[in-house]
Amino acid sequence: MLASDIHFPKDLAEALDIHRRRPAALIFAGGTDILREQGGRGLSLPAEILCIKDIPELGRAGLSERFLEIGSAVTVSELLELGDAALTPLLGEALRGIGSPTLRNLATLGGNLACRSRFMDSWPALACLDGLIELRDQGGATWINVNRLVGEDGRPAFPEGGILTRLRVPIERWDAYALRKVGPRFYPAPDTAVFAFVARAEKRILADVRIAFAGETALRSQSLEASMIGRNLPLSPREAASIAASYRALGSTLPEGLCLQFGALVDGALGLLSR
Amino acid sequence: MTVSFILNGEDVSAEARSVDRLSDLLHDGFGLLGLRSDCRSGRCGRCLILLGGRLVPSCMIPAFRVRGKEAVTIEGFAQTEDYRDVIEGFKSAGVETCGFCEGPKIMAAAALLDRTPRPSPREILEQLSSAPCRCTDPEALVRAVQAVAELRARRLYRRAGQ
Repeated sequence: MLASDIHFPKDLAEALDIHRRRPAALIFAGGTDILREQGGRGLSLPAEILCIKDIPELGRAGLSERFLEIGSAVTVSELLELGDAALTPLLGEALRGIGSPTLRNLATLGGNLACRSRFMDSWPALACLDGLIELRDQGGATWINVNRLVGEDGRPAFPEGGILTRLRVPIERWDAYALRKVGPRFYPAPDTAVFAFVARAEKRILADVRIAFAGETALRSQSLEASMIGRNLPLSPREAASIAASYRALGSTLPEGLCLQFGALVDGALGLLSR
Repeated sequence: MTVSFILNGEDVSAEARSVDRLSDLLHDGFGLLGLRSDCRSGRCGRCLILLGGRLVPSCMIPAFRVRGKEAVTIEGFAQTEDYRDVIEGFKSAGVETCGFCEGPKIMAAAALLDRTPRPSPREILEQLSSAPCRCTDPEALVRAVQAVAELRARRLYRRAGQ
């Protein structure tokens, strides 16, 4: 491989220029997802690599008035150091579920979200929180809701082209949340999945509720969530049972083991709304 | 491509191909035999190094990524006061690790205390899960790291007073 085949842009403008000229170059930041499947001695990487890890604009994270803004090359460990007050407990819990502490020192949230083979740990939490990603090319920036990174078959549909530069998480008050990871924890397996739930009440009425579950495929039903909003709290046992049955029907496309776990996790979340 | 970086305090350069893992470059290219890349998936902890002050599995990093950075292996870390704190703390707690995990556990304990001077037992066990081995009782490891934290705090306090 020639030295010029690995590009180290010093800023975002240079990275965008290289990306325009070399669209096939692999965009590389933390690299944990790219390397996780490669157990042999030698790595198998594409002929051209665009290394964005050290671009200053992509390595910053902080709070603005309405959003938590995260550069796509910020590592999971750096994010966790912001604390749950900045991250929201749901996202903090999701990030603590990623790999081991040493892998979290390498892995970036951008890479976790941009994985094309399956949904990784952060997607359900970011979907519940209505996170946005910014994709940039030389033509400008496009903001996309994380919920739109799902194809019609439920599998990841991360857009081709452009560089993922920032993530934006709206700052909102949530009164209840839950996050559970099922299956092997360290590296994702076919039966690894993450369940996320948030809810907000106003004067004992359910004002907002979101439930997302993702592993190799993603589940989220905004119509089921809409059917819950406006109900009086606590939910009656009959209401909870009816909603749970609808979610079980939604989860029937999952493999049997995951389907059962999804049902139990929905029951747990509805239990929080039934107290 | 040629990458220049700081390795255990010295400026070095090496030829890094895109197929090379950093662990292999350090082990084979620089003869640093204190690390190995046995699992090549970041699980076994035998290739842990400090890169830019962060503890990372060097088998999960392509060699070209070390360009312009500072890397410290157990050989370099063994020259520091932090290393001596860990050795003394483990000894005072009566903890003896095995040859398989000693280096990684030392690096993991020191890296934890660098960012969290008074870690909770949960934080200690989570950090040391990066260097998994059944040679030592987890409760003894917690006591050992707490002893290291005490020693380190006393040393830093003495230094601040000088």
